[in-house]
Amino acid sequence: MKKLLITAFVLLFALPTYAQRYVTKNGYISFYSKAPLENIQADNNQVECALDSHSGFFVVKVLMRAFVFEKALMQEHFNEEYVESAKYPNALFTGKVQNLKDINFSKPGTYPAVIKGKLTIRGISKPVTAKGTFTVTKSSIKGNAKFPITLADYGITIPAPVGGKIAKTVTITVKVNLNPLK
Amino acid sequence: MKKIKRVLGILFALGILVAAYIWFFVYNKPHRNFEKAKPDITMSARQCYHEFSQNKIHAGGKVLEIYGIPTSVKKSDSLVVVVFAFKKGMFGDNGIRCTMLADNQKKALALSTSDTAYIKGFCAGYNGSDVVLEDCSIIHKSKIK
Repeated sequence: MKKLLITAFVLLFALPTYAQRYVTKNGYISFYSKAPLENIQADNNQVECALDSHSGFFVVKVLMRAFVFEKALMQEHFNEEYVESAKYPNALFTGKVQNLKDINFSKPGTYPAVIKGKLTIRGISKPVTAKGTFTVTKSSIKGNAKFPITLADYGITIPAPVGGKIAKTVTITVKVNLNPLK
Repeated sequence: MKKIKRVLGILFALGILVAAYIWFFVYNKPHRNFEKAKPDITMSARQCYHEFSQNKIHAGGKVLEIYGIPTSVKKSDSLVVVVFAFKKGMFGDNGIRCTMLADNQKKALALSTSDTAYIKGFCAGYNGSDVVLEDCSIIHKSKIK
């Protein structure tokens, strides 16, 4: 994970100028799982995200312990048994905007976007494609995306007694309000 | 027969009590109140950032109390974040970010850079740029002399 973070930093720092970099430290990510036993939702407002509007390079860092569940017990199980937050404290997404030529980051408007990259959870990296939008305003860029992930891809196993009653795929929602890096 | 019925009745009542206990105090137990929690670690904000960024401390999941002079207080949507910045990084200033509890937001917004603030909160960990504290409350503040 440390190597991945360093690679992401180097890639982003190697990019031309500060003026093209947009960042936030309070981005939002949630995951939602609909299943017969019960629906599960967790929210995280401590997401760090950076976008380079020149190259389309996109980085998202997520502290796993910052996910808040409605039930304290669920939060404990999530951290201790499923994602093992003590061992793997961060998740990381590094990717690139695929349709960069269709987006004018200097002209206000809403643009559909496709971002392809690699999502690393529990030290396991898998390719991910997220569809969403960038809404460009005079002062910021708002990014929204939704995509599914399969828990087993990241080595997250659901214990047998509840295995059939908890969804194997969860929907990730990302909302970031990016401001120019000063 | 009467004795068996009485034993069954007691067992049934006990079962109900155990189920109620599990429902209220295990399955639906409330989130921890970090405002009332005793801190596991108390240290200056500068030392805290230094120890996390040098990988000398692993306090994710613990209650931290830090003190120092805030660099800024940021408000975005429903969040108020007290920032202790120590370094420039890829995402802006790196340091300690304390997201305040709703009933402490007003106090946080009144902080100035001439105050030494003592802030307590749940440490979500270090993300490579910042030490993140959540559910924070202001324990005490004092003017710099």
